Amino acid sequence: MDTLIVSLLNGVIYGLLLFMVSAGLTLVFGMMGVLNFAHASFYMLGAYFAYALQGTLGFWGAVVVSPLLVGLIGVIVERFVLRRVHRYGHGHELLLTFGLSIIIAELVKLCFGNFPVNYRVPASLDFAAFAVGNSDYPFYRVLMGAVAIAMFVLIFLLLTRTRVGIVVRSAIYKPRMAEALGHNVPAVFMGVFGVGAALAGLAGAVAGAFYTTNPNMAIDLGVVVFVVVVVGGLGSLSGAMLASLLIGVVTSLAVGVDASLADLLGLIGARAWAERIGGLFTLKLSSLAATIPFALMLVVLLVRPGGLLGEKA
Amino acid sequence: MRGRGGLGALGTVGVALLLALPWILSQGLLNASIQMLIAALFACAYNLLAGQAGMLSFGHAAYFGVGAFATVHAMNAFGGSGLLPTPLMPLAGALAGLIFGAIAGWFATQRTGAYFAMITLAIAELLHALAPHFKGLFGGEGGVSSTRMPSMGVTFGSTTQMYYLVLAWVLASLLALYLYTLTPLGRLTLGLRENSHRLRFLGYDVHKLSVLVFSISAMFSGIAGSLQVINNEAANYIVFDAGQSTAVVLNTYIGGARVFLGPAFGAALMTFFGYAVSDLTQSWLLYQGILFALVMMFAPSGLAGLFGMPDRLRRRFGTAAVVPFFALALASIVLLTAGTVFLVELLQRILSQDYRALAAGAPPWPPISLFGRQWSPAAAVTWLLPAAGVACGAATMLLARHKLALLEGRQEDTAAEPRAIEGERTPA
Repeated sequence: MDTLIVSLLNGVIYGLLLFMVSAGLTLVFGMMGVLNFAHASFYMLGAYFAYALQGTLGFWGAVVVSPLLVGLIGVIVERFVLRRVHRYGHGHELLLTFGLSIIIAELVKLCFGNFPVNYRVPASLDFAAFAVGNSDYPFYRVLMGAVAIAMFVLIFLLLTRTRVGIVVRSAIYKPRMAEALGHNVPAVFMGVFGVGAALAGLAGAVAGAFYTTNPNMAIDLGVVVFVVVVVGGLGSLSGAMLASLLIGVVTSLAVGVDASLADLLGLIGARAWAERIGGLFTLKLSSLAATIPFALMLVVLLVRPGGLLGEKA
Repeated sequence: MRGRGGLGALGTVGVALLLALPWILSQGLLNASIQMLIAALFACAYNLLAGQAGMLSFGHAAYFGVGAFATVHAMNAFGGSGLLPTPLMPLAGALAGLIFGAIAGWFATQRTGAYFAMITLAIAELLHALAPHFKGLFGGEGGVSSTRMPSMGVTFGSTTQMYYLVLAWVLASLLALYLYTLTPLGRLTLGLRENSHRLRFLGYDVHKLSVLVFSISAMFSGIAGSLQVINNEAANYIVFDAGQSTAVVLNTYIGGARVFLGPAFGAALMTFFGYAVSDLTQSWLLYQGILFALVMMFAPSGLAGLFGMPDRLRRRFGTAAVVPFFALALASIVLLTAGTVFLVELLQRILSQDYRALAAGAPPWPPISLFGRQWSPAAAVTWLLPAAGVACGAATMLLARHKLALLEGRQEDTAAEPRAIEGERTPA
């Protein structure tokens, strides 16, 4: 029971982290129609910048400055790179961001080495928040969850309660009309791209200290984030939230389940047969945890091609 | 444009050259040529889907890998005597690629555009994550190995024989892919890219068509994977790695997706450079990524698209007028490349683990050896030299652009068209 609660909590917090990264991706997609392949690279940059800066600025300073730097890079990328190729179409933009993600990963390898760096939770934050049964629950996980929730509330209020939010939403919904009414739509695009990048950077700066910070973190997280936005429905913020939590909890629970298909078939007396076949039947669910998001995505595409909360396909 | 006869002659010369390679090249280079041929076929197979049908797949390693493993198991069938004679072995890869491509394609083509890209990526990742768990099929960490059996009086023991086997399959596949573009199906493939709504309106089943194109592309990718296994006599689940999918995307678009042999050219070029510089630099992928991004930004038709440019400009403005432009452009490219490579290599050496350990002590940092010379990291010249290279290169580039603008006069005002804004949102 305790293990269940702990893995549920872990799953929710991992889900919230996924949401921090996928929120920017899905916002940018909903707005510009660009799938930013380099989005997870911004997450990685956030972690590496925070790691590099924490010596001079301290942990909190680094966590604040690093997302700003990443956001600045995002603005530069949108203004000077993506905008140039916009007229060639979305496929071209997607390919270019794919190229950017390679360049960023290689530059990180060049500057920090092709191995995990020693970016850790500071000792002042490394304590138990509360105990579940007889195991302590780390405070830092709770902090990550809190940052993600605070961010979600902030974006939500910004988009629905402020004038800036109204302009942004109208620029997403009817860009030509918004422009005709005198709003600078390209500037709005640039801003949203920068904010999305900064959010990913923030997620990286906060989560990089807890999970590992290595040059593969972008691609590892990137594919899961893509799964999240497909499952949630591209362009839907609440869909991204739902899918993030779903995938976070499912993967976290799966890691703890030591059963295989053979055990399931054992209930109807076919265990011996299943074990003779081997292969898929005897694989433990826990070892398949990494593949569950992909399988989930294929199922969602089958029954609801538009994603859980997406538009109708 | 050259006439069809000219292209035919060029093709004949090219094939003759390829046939003569074993007499010209050393063993090592011949081996590299085999890799180049395989990469070229893979890129062309990929381009059928990405370039011609407009469906960007980021997980094509899956079909390459499936073809590879089908072949290695076919080679090991019947206690090692093989399911098929060795020269026909790629058929196993083709069949496996076709079947797996049809299944994966059925899922992936449910959606288009960015969704499609993500689904292909996820399918490849799924396979990559699952493969190590199936020891029987994919051999775990060690992979599956096999041996080429002699067949039809040929031992397939030497690199030369292997080269001819690969060459025959690659040429036949490229020919088939080229003939495909001439068929009605080939034209429909272009239609998928240009306007699938209209195709649907005309009564075609777009999903079926997409699955068909997807599986054909996967089939030829399977052949490429198959040839690699026959050459290496082993297959490892590493073939499913994202790096393989990345490479084919880079190769295809650096070469040029809109020209039939563009991807093959890009793949051959990149594979050759990868082979040539892999001992010299650890940043080859970085250079490749930068080249890719530059091509996408400034030469969207790829390197193959640039070939026609000198001829076009010469015809338009006369030889005398364009020579200075090309001299400047060439000089700028050389300077920029030299400056960037110098800078990257310098940084790579300074930031490396070994050097950091060496320089941990007092400020007189040890010099770095690069390009046969010693460079002190504290000396200004070490940094000014590459900076000057990049700056001069950029200045020359601006000058070259200015020259071109002068040539073109004011007839190219349309280049600075305002940024197109996304139209009203349409359901995907």
